[in-house]
Amino acid sequence: MIFPKATISEIIGLLEVVNDSGGIEDAARLAADFDLELDEILPSIDGAELLGFVSVTDGNIELTEDARNLLETGIRDRKKIIRDKVAGVGIIKELTSMLMESDERKISKKETLKFLQDKIATADIESYFRIIINWTRHAGLIGYNSDSEEICLISK
Amino acid sequence: MLAEIKNISKTFESDGNKIQVLDNINFTVEDNDFICIVGPSGCGKSTLLRIIVGLEKPTSGEVLFKGEVIAPDNPKVAMVFQNFALFPWLTVKENIELVLESKKYGEEAEKVACKYIRAVGLDGFERVYPRELSGGMKQRVGFARELAVEPVLLCMDEPFSSLDALTSQNLKDELLMLWAEVSMPPDAVIMVTHNVEEAVYMANRIIILSPRPGKIVADLKIELERPRNRKDPEFYRWVDKVYSLIV
Repeated sequence: MIFPKATISEIIGLLEVVNDSGGIEDAARLAADFDLELDEILPSIDGAELLGFVSVTDGNIELTEDARNLLETGIRDRKKIIRDKVAGVGIIKELTSMLMESDERKISKKETLKFLQDKIATADIESYFRIIINWTRHAGLIGYNSDSEEICLISK
Repeated sequence: MLAEIKNISKTFESDGNKIQVLDNINFTVEDNDFICIVGPSGCGKSTLLRIIVGLEKPTSGEVLFKGEVIAPDNPKVAMVFQNFALFPWLTVKENIELVLESKKYGEEAEKVACKYIRAVGLDGFERVYPRELSGGMKQRVGFARELAVEPVLLCMDEPFSSLDALTSQNLKDELLMLWAEVSMPPDAVIMVTHNVEEAVYMANRIIILSPRPGKIVADLKIELERPRNRKDPEFYRWVDKVYSLIV
């Protein structure tokens, strides 16, 4: 599988601009509007789709009900919606259960990278690690301590 | 009246050459003003902002904040920088607590830091170092840190210009959400930007500067309802109008 290399901020930004276009927009026009290459905007579109915020057909990006709800709420409530969505992403679910079963609910970065490498075939696993941690920190699910180089569950 | 910018001129000297960057700038800042200062590059808009917060001295003229000449350590005026200006060896929370310590919050510092970390949606990132953060998250720390001192006037120098287009859109919207909350500081914002669309999106007042030396060409009240939509024809009429005054 490929994991979309887009931060949560980029994904919400995408939803906001599609919303400005009435909730549906052509990917190519969106890229042109922001003077971006299609390659630069695709990860955000894929990320939004993976989180269930958009449906994509024939290059058209359309906001889902969940995305509309997200955009209507404030920063605090957005965080809750993101949490539920991110918690449902396959690879993050697996990481969460690995953490639940581990000693002290911590796993070394090395072991995490190995797990991700098996899932995402890439030479650049570090950048996927950073993106996944960006998502899970945003969601308040999984944190990373760069001093001890361990990931851990964030207590509610 | 919150602040008064009076007859501000600024001339820099280098190798015996005098370069005038600002020429007799006058305007007042009122409660609830969200002012964007726009103008061509080199028109002195960042210099003007630095003078307003007291980081730079004008060659002539003065800036009054609530009737008194502005001092650089005025706790009621805060500044957000383009490049975030975070301490790399401190965590998110420590970066925020640091400004509070210097303003004598004592044991309250942690509580106040946490309040603003939550307000900008940074909870979960408290113990993270800046190097691990994306640009968008770094600037959220920048906002939280300056909001934490509960400023009356918040100044921002191109706060979105080092972010990618989508992240910047997200941060603008979140900043406007915070601005709309009455219980949140500040009372007024002055933001410098070279991006006209961004100015029309954010501001209720746009001050347009001429090419160097910067003079005020126009002081426009933007009468567009919020939330604003960049695809709205009315929005574009304003963008056009501002452009026509700059070019």
